Amino acid sequence: MAAAAAAAEWATKEPCIMGIDEAGRGPVLGPMVYGCMFCARSYHDTLATLSFADSKTLKEEQREELFETLKTNSAIGWEVDVICPKELSAKMLKRTKVNLNEISHNSAMGLVKKALSMGVLLTDVYIDTVGDPEKYRVKLTEKFPGITFVVAKKADSLYPVVSGASIVAKVTRDRALRNWVFDETAQNMHMDTGSGYPGDPNTIQWLKDHKHPVFGFPTLVRFSWGTCTSYFKTGVEVTWESDELDEDAASNGSAKRQVRLSSLGFTGFKRKSEEIESSGKGRCKFFQARKLELVRKFQ
Amino acid sequence: MEQATPPAAGVDLSPAGADLGRVHLLPCGIRHSSAAAVSDYFKPRDTGVEVEGVRVEEAFFRGRKLQGATVALPDGYRGYVLEKKSAAKDMQNMDGDASNFVSRAEFQNITYWNHDAMPSAEDPLPRCFHWLTIANAMHKPVTAEELANMSATPNQNS
Repeated sequence: MAAAAAAAEWATKEPCIMGIDEAGRGPVLGPMVYGCMFCARSYHDTLATLSFADSKTLKEEQREELFETLKTNSAIGWEVDVICPKELSAKMLKRTKVNLNEISHNSAMGLVKKALSMGVLLTDVYIDTVGDPEKYRVKLTEKFPGITFVVAKKADSLYPVVSGASIVAKVTRDRALRNWVFDETAQNMHMDTGSGYPGDPNTIQWLKDHKHPVFGFPTLVRFSWGTCTSYFKTGVEVTWESDELDEDAASNGSAKRQVRLSSLGFTGFKRKSEEIESSGKGRCKFFQARKLELVRKFQ
Repeated sequence: MEQATPPAAGVDLSPAGADLGRVHLLPCGIRHSSAAAVSDYFKPRDTGVEVEGVRVEEAFFRGRKLQGATVALPDGYRGYVLEKKSAAKDMQNMDGDASNFVSRAEFQNITYWNHDAMPSAEDPLPRCFHWLTIANAMHKPVTAEELANMSATPNQNS
């Protein structure tokens, strides 16, 4: 992502403060955006007068306007990290799953790292918390020992520099959604997505409109979200090896559950994909390693 | 095969008219056996990365990131996409289990996809072709000359 101010002179000479905030962490679709804003410590009082505070209460046009003023303000630097829904889904559905908190932490730390590599003299960073504030603060401090971190709930309404960051993030996400180009070439796709939260009737309608029995949804959707799961139940069943390993681990880890299942006549989890995917089960290693099954009769 | 076995499944491999595009092998079970809008939803992209001389592509299916490689079938072999034909009523169907298949498409290349792992020569699909070499060796008639060579070196394998 392009930086508005590639480490202006003031940023490398004067001690700077930075605010970090996110937009689009919860919705079932679209990118999650992390934004940061930084300025010299000496500029902080002026910043407080720029009416960035309470960005969430601002209207979209006001945020757009503030973002444009912010971009032209040479005393302010900013940066964004856009994590596309594809990447979110893929990470959360990896064989070794990465949870959303970790993705969020890494994104925020990436922004700090980027500013430092640009030569910004960062001394204080204010950040909206993800998970437990104290644990997060410790994690950040360990990673960047020279910086004082202030981790707080609702940091965007407490610190003007975080309010600014939240505008950067929110406007970037809104624009990304407005200018979204579908990877998919299916017919009748549209962008009346609503807020992306399941309580929004527009979002529910959008999900219904874009549901596909085999493919699920276009890649605008975060497949790893609970909201999607109910839709997949009505579609074509898809089974993954990594999910079966999870199930196996879960059943091994819980002795109680195993006992209960066996008392009900279950002898263990049946590996679903073996019914539809060749596995070479019961054959010698050579064939198993190659998933080669002997087919005596086509049917 | 035993003599008494009734004719096995009939497979009609006459050339298929329709070109169904690329053939993908996905690392998951999909309980669906019919047409799907693959080219509208499944969009492989070249990653620019090469592993052991094979270009790696990237695609997404149901939120999972897949990495794929395209391999050519060995010389003399051809891949077919078969469709089961419902047994015709007027057929003399002595064996109720016999099925009939017809070729819907042919392929010389197949792209196989790994979930979250770079393709490599150690993947099951490229290793499948080892079987062809072994099967050939096993089924090739032994010539008199080879027999003579073997008896000349009787303790080779001891």
